[in-house]
Amino acid sequence: MALLDIKNLTLEIDGTNGWIKALDKINLTIDSGEIRALVGESGSGKSLIVRAISGALPSNWRITADRMTWKNIDLLSMNDEERRKIMRNEIAVVFQNPLKSLDPSATLEEQLLESIPGNLLDKGYFWQRAQQRRVIAAKLLHKVGIKDHKRCLKSYPHQVPDDICQKFMIATALAPNPELIIADDPTRGMEITTKAQILRLLTRLNKTKDLSILFVGHDLLAISSMATSMTVLYCGQTVESGPMDKVRKRPLHPYTKALLDSAPSFRKDLPPKSPLSSLEGTIPSLQHLPIGCRLGPRCPRAQKECVKAPEPRRIHQHYYSCHFPLHREKR
Amino acid sequence: MIRYIVRHINLMLFTLFALSVASFALAYLFPADPLVNLSGVQRLSEEEFNLLSEKYAMNESIIIQYLQYMSLLFQGDWGISFSSGLPLGDEIKRSLPASIELSAYSLVISMLVGVPLGFFAGLRHNKHTDYVLLGVSVAGYSVPVFWLALLLIMLFALQLPLFPLSGRISLLFDIPYSTGFILPDIWLSDINNKTAATINAIEHMILPTLAISVVNTAIVLRLTRSAVLDVMGSDFVQAAYSRGLTVSQVIFRHGIRNVLLRILPLLALQTSTLLTNAMIVEVIFSWPGIGNWLLQAIYQRDFPAIRAGMLAVSAFVVIVTVLIDLFARLIDPTQGAPRRGSL
Repeated sequence: MALLDIKNLTLEIDGTNGWIKALDKINLTIDSGEIRALVGESGSGKSLIVRAISGALPSNWRITADRMTWKNIDLLSMNDEERRKIMRNEIAVVFQNPLKSLDPSATLEEQLLESIPGNLLDKGYFWQRAQQRRVIAAKLLHKVGIKDHKRCLKSYPHQVPDDICQKFMIATALAPNPELIIADDPTRGMEITTKAQILRLLTRLNKTKDLSILFVGHDLLAISSMATSMTVLYCGQTVESGPMDKVRKRPLHPYTKALLDSAPSFRKDLPPKSPLSSLEGTIPSLQHLPIGCRLGPRCPRAQKECVKAPEPRRIHQHYYSCHFPLHREKR
Repeated sequence: MIRYIVRHINLMLFTLFALSVASFALAYLFPADPLVNLSGVQRLSEEEFNLLSEKYAMNESIIIQYLQYMSLLFQGDWGISFSSGLPLGDEIKRSLPASIELSAYSLVISMLVGVPLGFFAGLRHNKHTDYVLLGVSVAGYSVPVFWLALLLIMLFALQLPLFPLSGRISLLFDIPYSTGFILPDIWLSDINNKTAATINAIEHMILPTLAISVVNTAIVLRLTRSAVLDVMGSDFVQAAYSRGLTVSQVIFRHGIRNVLLRILPLLALQTSTLLTNAMIVEVIFSWPGIGNWLLQAIYQRDFPAIRAGMLAVSAFVVIVTVLIDLFARLIDPTQGAPRRGSL
């Protein structure tokens, strides 16, 4: 069963020249127990999707979707309070900059305790509840691999190293026993050993607690080792999505192929000192979006039809949006 | 921690040193004889002249003179006033508390009104409430204090005789001087109608305090509003919302503390504006404070009084500003945070 099912999500931002479609008909599903990777280059709207799911939108944003459901309940039509309860108990978000996502003026203990919802405590008198919360907090920290929980809880965010901060963020995310964790580039700017630890931690949580993870990022190597399925995003449009191995072995969209080719670690046959492949040009800014398929101007296979946005097509579980996919001969 | 204290005290000492040099230089820069300007004694006889020359070390080098001047300052001998002939130290001790009292009350009022309104405006950013409050604060910020004070007198003292026109307390009450602040003085004194005196003093206080508070409230409101916008738009507030906290939980647990930590150092900078406005308003309300006193000194070319008054007021502003700033840093938990490298 799909936990989170998003169809044709469009996010518009009120700019100076009218509404800009920052996300254009995004499709994304997350099944329970899977790790779904959301991949795209910087500026492709990955973080916008995360914010759209988590609610809390600025007043100059507008969201429309054909379907945006959480466990078959419509997220868009529910009121703020119901939405907040889902965010409190069922979905958790780990942001990309752990230090900035923590209140600098509060100790980590305060911030961890407040994210433990009251329904996880057994019925006790109210003066016993703080103690119960502390016990849970210590357990959570041990779970994510912070051994010295006393020292960690006493500290302010700026007093702990980045990796502990990120592990702490994962601990706060785990506090309400969520069913889905959205990890928005959780290993950005980290050392390779720390990165490996955090990725292992997420994978282990997925295996042991049957936790679904939406992993947002652009580290293809890490993603390919942990994710079960992948959605590729370009400039606010979903380009291709499907099971990890299918997408990786046989990309159907020219952009996915270019993306996979651009990662040197994926190409074992790469001779030394050969030029790395990349698409011409850069990702367009939000003010100058091309019509139709947004990859059009950069696409090696683009033709006249590409000025119309392609409908998503499907081969088994593998979806792609392209008029001239790679498995068909070029005309 | 220690580093901050040392740095702030260091800053304070150097600024005070510069101020004392300036005040000493004034004795030479004002017209008339430096000895007269320093001591405040006019029409010296031969004998007095020699005595005072000895006292102020006028025959020594200028550095020795400065050191002598400083040691006299610390002994409390600030010279005497041309106009009243009284020791300046005592005169300042009488008038400065009155100004501080006025500024302190208006600071309290502007915090009590400005901070909540600023929060309100910031939380309703780009809505009508925000625009209205911002408009009112621009108006309050732009109104000249002296004109506002006159307007208040016209409306609430002359047209509607609700409040007394000027002064600090009715002449009927004879309050002996002990601290210089009127309300504590009333409570410390042994007059038999303390309640009546308190009410009377408060009635006198309302109009001047109001006149100063308007500008200050507008400033506090704007500072708070921009700090609220800053904090509520920051990543950690977004993160707190995404953790499913309610709006009030986010504001009370994460909003208020961060906003106050941000505006406190900015408020320290407003001390000088506050005291300046108080000094202007004092003149209009004949409030016996340092502003009124200093202005009289300027009218009468009372050079020793100008010198001493300038030193007292500026030293007070510097000390208060530095102390508030130091306090703000000491209670800020992020102080002393090392700079982080990032990849």
